Amino acid sequence: MKILGIDTSGLVGAVAVADGDTLVSQFSIQYKTTHSEILMPMLDDICRKINLDLKSIDAIAVAKGPGSFTGLRIGSATAKGLALALDVPIIPVPTVDGIAYNLYGLEKIICPMMDARRNQVYTGLYTFVPNTSEDKGCERSFDMQVIHEQFATSIDDIAEKINEIGKPVVLLGDGIPVYHDKLEELLKVPYSVAPMHQNRQNAAALVALAAKYASEGRTVSADEFAPDYLRLSQAEREAKENPNKNHELKRQDMRKAPGLVRIREMTPEDIEDAAILEKTNLGKEAWTRNQLTVAMTRDDTIYLVAEKAGRVVGLCGVQNISGDGEVTNVSVAADCRGEGIGYKMLKQLLERGRGIGIKDYTLEVRAGNTSAIHLYERLGFVSEGIRPGFYDDPREDAAIYWKRNQE
Amino acid sequence: MKVDKKIEDDGVIFMSVKNSEEGNSEKINDEDVTILAIESSCDESAAAVVKNGREVLSNIISSQISLHTIYGGVVPEIASRKHVEKMNGCIRAALDEANVTLEDIDAVAVTYGPGLVGALLVGVSEAKAIAYAINKPLIGVHHIEGHISANFIENKELEPPFVCLVASGGHSHLVVVKDYGEYEIIGQTRDDAAGEAFDKVARAIGLGYPGGPKIDKAAKEGNPDVFTFPQAKIADAEYDFSFSGLKSSVLNYINQAKMQGNEINQADIAASFQKAVVEVLVDHSIRACSQYGIKKLAIAGGVASNSGLRELMEKECADNGIQFYRPSPVLCTDNAAMIGAAAYYEYKKGVRFGMDMNAVPNLPLGDRERRFHAGKHSNSMN
Repeated sequence: MKILGIDTSGLVGAVAVADGDTLVSQFSIQYKTTHSEILMPMLDDICRKINLDLKSIDAIAVAKGPGSFTGLRIGSATAKGLALALDVPIIPVPTVDGIAYNLYGLEKIICPMMDARRNQVYTGLYTFVPNTSEDKGCERSFDMQVIHEQFATSIDDIAEKINEIGKPVVLLGDGIPVYHDKLEELLKVPYSVAPMHQNRQNAAALVALAAKYASEGRTVSADEFAPDYLRLSQAEREAKENPNKNHELKRQDMRKAPGLVRIREMTPEDIEDAAILEKTNLGKEAWTRNQLTVAMTRDDTIYLVAEKAGRVVGLCGVQNISGDGEVTNVSVAADCRGEGIGYKMLKQLLERGRGIGIKDYTLEVRAGNTSAIHLYERLGFVSEGIRPGFYDDPREDAAIYWKRNQE
Repeated sequence: MKVDKKIEDDGVIFMSVKNSEEGNSEKINDEDVTILAIESSCDESAAAVVKNGREVLSNIISSQISLHTIYGGVVPEIASRKHVEKMNGCIRAALDEANVTLEDIDAVAVTYGPGLVGALLVGVSEAKAIAYAINKPLIGVHHIEGHISANFIENKELEPPFVCLVASGGHSHLVVVKDYGEYEIIGQTRDDAAGEAFDKVARAIGLGYPGGPKIDKAAKEGNPDVFTFPQAKIADAEYDFSFSGLKSSVLNYINQAKMQGNEINQADIAASFQKAVVEVLVDHSIRACSQYGIKKLAIAGGVASNSGLRELMEKECADNGIQFYRPSPVLCTDNAAMIGAAAYYEYKKGVRFGMDMNAVPNLPLGDRERRFHAGKHSNSMN
């Protein structure tokens, strides 16, 4: 059986070809390249060097995830295209299992960790056990046993699981350098880190494991294969989260340290204070209780307040209009200015806005309000124009500011 | 054009667009060029088989729009994930419906920009893999050139030179199509694209997403002369557009009305806003025709299916002796048949892309990214 293996789930981009028990070729690059630009040229290079007729391939193995969302899609879409055109099945290999298979035969605990950002790792727990039924004299063969299947979790959680097992562990994966210090602190069992030739995604290990899967019939059709991200998209995640629960927690924290400024989402109980703050700061232009209530309850807005000693001392809000965040309100109580409250609030607002799909931010400010303008510029807003005579009482130009996503 | 629709379990709408007039009975000859085209730049996964640039043998569109509605716009990560799930099915359906196999395909074409990078990469990766596996040329197509080329499908007599107004959610361009594959941009938006302004205003007056069709519909019930919203003129570039001032002016009106506790009339705002946008688009297009001495005007992109735009364009073109071309509404949305049409003329010119082709999210029109062309790289094919 001839298997073509592809792994672009992380920084490593790798292709391998196995024919039966022989690893005919492997090509691996761990460098800041774009998988999209190098994957097919790597395959092309292999095909030329080993005179491979793609039509002789029996199955395409691919790291099915987790990993970089984009990386997974490049590998998956390529595998699906090849499998469609060649009319062969796909062998999906869980990425973390593939990494663990680098350490074939190891009877310690194996724990790959891929950096999953947001203080998490994609990880799993594995070990190899001798397959006694195949004993021939002294020769041993091993089966990889999955102790905990791949998942996304915190370093603390996986360290705890390792400690519970209480056996020596070998760590590998690109999460190790990121969390090394923390692991040193948390782990209570002897551990080692796999050497560089064994500690990343490896298309050779992937095809070896895939051959085993294929023999067990674990293949899928090209059309039905889809990557397993182990995570929802950010938009889906935020839509699912229940913001009310978070409020209660944050309120409790707040009571413990009344002198500190806390930034949190505005709740209905804040409306009274917020409206008074608006009125004091903006007079006639202030938003009313009703307007604040309506604005706060919409699903395309985020309203934050700054709370200090149990009192609302700042508020800000943004509305998502098809990807543009219009910052509708920014207000800080007169006696609390100069403490960086505006900066803290807006910084949070801009970060949270991304969660509801905002890419660019815009706002209008009285052209003469230098302290506000200074604040917006510190946050990366750039003036892009003037609306003459926009404000009344006194009449003044509005400066239009934008913070455009540089991605 | 006839559209067969089927709603799948996950809410994705699977469509097969058929040309009701043409029977696809003609056999493919040796000299025919049959292109498999793939498109995934935004929230539509699409595949089509196109013969000789103008004959659409199949046109499959898998639209995810209903999945994004609750978020008020396309969520790139969700779109990209769906493309991976749906693309193979689209390609298979396109081949089946055209009654061809991959062996009959002469080239694989794909949109490689502009668009959402994650979404584009799915189509690009699939196209490269298939082209490589069947050992046929790969052709990268600019999404907007695709939209412009949609006009070739139903107007067999349309040939360059002509003026084309491209207006969609991401683009507002006024283009002189000098020859096949040769474009001069004479005007573009300084800020929001026309379709973007439609989306934002629709959102603000509570019509929801997608804004274009919803405003178009509401406008029919409203009076376009209730409000006079500003139409920006750009002093040093007479064909450029600016829709952000217009959008802000509508939003300011709404905010004021809300603050004063006044009801807003959705239909009147929609009608007045649409009129302001459409008048600018038509005015620029007609002036470009007369200044460049071209008597052919085409429109393309999602906004081209706006009924207000079509009506005013038709009238103004008739008054000025200009022949007006427009694709059927279904060909104005993102589809792969238009990519196959554009790719045919690239194919004829000998354009071939290398296996290092990447998605280019901000690919400029006309001045195309040449670095992925086969020939410069050792991995060239054919």
